[in-house]
Amino acid sequence: MNHPIEPGSGNRSSYLSFMLAGEEYAVGLLRVREIIEYRPVTRVPGMPVAVQGVINLRGSVVPVVDLAVKFGLSPRPITRWSCFVIVEVALDGQQTVLGLLCDTVREVLELGPDDIEPPPAFGTRVRLEFLRGMGRHGDAFILLLDLDRVLSLEELLRLTTAADEAPASVLAPAPSASQPESPGHG
Amino acid sequence: MGPGDMTSDATVEWEKVLGIFSDEAEGLVASMEENLIALEVAPADSLLQAILRGAHTLKGAAGSLGFQAVTDYTHGVEDLLQALIDRRVAVDEERVSLLLGAVDHLRDLSRASLAGVDSLGAVHLAHLARLKQGAGLHPATEAVAAPAPASLPRIPESPGGKRGRSRMDLERLDRIVTLTAELSVARGRMTQFLTRAEDSGASWDDALSLQREMDPLFEELQEEVMKVRMVPVGPLFRQHLRTVRDLARSQHKQALLELEGEDATLDTAVLDALRDPLLHLLRNALDHGIESPDERRAAGKDPRGHLRLRAFHDAGSVVVELSDDGRGIQRERVRERAREKGLVAAPERLRDDELLRLIFEPGFSTAATVTELSGRGVGMDVVRRDIEALRGSVSIQSQEGRGTTLTLRLPLTLAVIQGFAMGVGDQVYVVPIEGVQECMEVPSEERTSEASGVLSLRGQPLPYLRLRQVFDLGGGTPARENVVVLKHPDGMVGLAVDELQGEGQRVIRPLGKLFQGIPGISGSTILGDGRVGLLLDTPSLVRRAIHRACEHPEAFHSPQDLLPPTDAPRAPSRPSPLPE
Repeated sequence: MNHPIEPGSGNRSSYLSFMLAGEEYAVGLLRVREIIEYRPVTRVPGMPVAVQGVINLRGSVVPVVDLAVKFGLSPRPITRWSCFVIVEVALDGQQTVLGLLCDTVREVLELGPDDIEPPPAFGTRVRLEFLRGMGRHGDAFILLLDLDRVLSLEELLRLTTAADEAPASVLAPAPSASQPESPGHG
Repeated sequence: MGPGDMTSDATVEWEKVLGIFSDEAEGLVASMEENLIALEVAPADSLLQAILRGAHTLKGAAGSLGFQAVTDYTHGVEDLLQALIDRRVAVDEERVSLLLGAVDHLRDLSRASLAGVDSLGAVHLAHLARLKQGAGLHPATEAVAAPAPASLPRIPESPGGKRGRSRMDLERLDRIVTLTAELSVARGRMTQFLTRAEDSGASWDDALSLQREMDPLFEELQEEVMKVRMVPVGPLFRQHLRTVRDLARSQHKQALLELEGEDATLDTAVLDALRDPLLHLLRNALDHGIESPDERRAAGKDPRGHLRLRAFHDAGSVVVELSDDGRGIQRERVRERAREKGLVAAPERLRDDELLRLIFEPGFSTAATVTELSGRGVGMDVVRRDIEALRGSVSIQSQEGRGTTLTLRLPLTLAVIQGFAMGVGDQVYVVPIEGVQECMEVPSEERTSEASGVLSLRGQPLPYLRLRQVFDLGGGTPARENVVVLKHPDGMVGLAVDELQGEGQRVIRPLGKLFQGIPGISGSTILGDGRVGLLLDTPSLVRRAIHRACEHPEAFHSPQDLLPPTDAPRAPSRPSPLPE
């Protein structure tokens, strides 16, 4: 259930797509717990900018992440379409609920293996290792995110953004696990 | 973690069974251990019977799961116990040690069985042989010995403590269920009232009075739920019976630990955090407090040293006290040490309590007075730091030649505090109310955007931190600015904030894994308006500021100095001084 698409399997899977700084992204629907409207964020000092802070989700304190900032884009103004897509990821082996700040939620779509292309070697705004593939939807491509890679503890605590590393990843797409700054505990 | 990993119902069931065995085995082994120590102090048949029952129950439980190693080993233990009960052999220190060693093995073997290793090692077999030897001093009578224990019916007796606790939990759960039901009735009435309020022309007062009916119910529910987290200190205390016995023996001393107030309860989290400091204090008392039997005899004392561990509730806190009747703190040595280490300029001028407090200073290494056996290299400053991290305090009383008493005062729970809230921009921060001394407005000449500064508080300099800059929150200087004056181990410190929001009860919850080790923040709380407020860790903020001020005296005013530089990875240091 944690892998919505199994390459080679004939099953179609559902995805939730949303907009981030003018580009459409999608995550496996099974990973999405709910979508909630924007609410004020409590900033936690000393965190990388992509980790915006925490919100109250029915009494639970939930961290929220701005993926656009993580991908090296500047923060966008909050509009009345801004919302949080609440997802579940395993941080250091511990199931954790996280909120993703989205400019707007688009739709739920079904994609089969034939609709998914491997990402090109360069040209995407997002590092290749963060992508499961490119979903074909009409004439457009939707970037299918690999949540476990984008939202790993190492990636979330990484202080540089993806854009800073883009040249390096074109030359040698180094897996994130080899980065020296992975926190020592846990 | 594999959610895709399919587990069948049978596996789940088996896991449950293993879990029950694990709990039961730990409980049985612990009570055998306690009884053995009690047996050594005052031999009694009832204790031997209880130990044998424990062993037998363990054997039965292990046998029913097919754990052969535990079963075989326990059999050997039963033989010696039976021999003791039949008075074929006498209870002596050697046999008690033998049995305590066996208890250790049983603990290991049970854990090993659970981990899938079901065999006796050479160590176990050797110990088993010694147990047999210990039991079989008179082979002639052994032949007469009663039926093989294996054929005895399983005695369905489990340690009483456990059953008692689960019954208490049930009563508590019942109360919680009742309260929840009452609350839901009250809420239903409220909903009904609100939907009809417009038509019926009800007033705000009516709404308020309805709301006030709900409040006590809710508060009671909260209290009951909090109590679920409370556990008695007894099990933690009792673990140390063995610690004290073994440590004393290893130093050729004699010591007896007495327990009092084992029923006193405190939050599970506080109890866990108390574990290390308590062990440390006990070791200290045995190392430095209790004298050798000869020394004690010469001083006209019982050759056996007495330690007393006591817990009681006092004014919203729990007090844990450790007293010994040892030699007490030798003032002259403390003075010497303080002079040597340069801790104070004139140690001879200190008051007695000030002098005693020096032993909690970092750098007051007790290495000179440490016995050849301890060599731990950790001082009392670690104990103080650990206890303060729990928002508790440590104090000491000592009479030379008569003994020492250490008093730990701890909050009952870490989950709820009386907090003082303050606002900076749209952010809210909370500090425990105990630390707040007073509040004052920042005078106009101090209205800067520096991360820190110094105010005059009744003629005394008051260093303060401006949270807006320290946390890099941005935004302009507010129209009014206030300083919250906080008590700090090294004197008063101030926090400059925009507004003061007053005190109230706060439920504290930890920030998740992602935020571990964040400097200056130790938790979060849901505010009245539904937003999240952060609990400040003032000591760590202040330490950071002092550290930075020492390193870069001129560059101190930049906010980045108080937080880790953003171009470097965050240090994975945890504020919690108590590693698992």
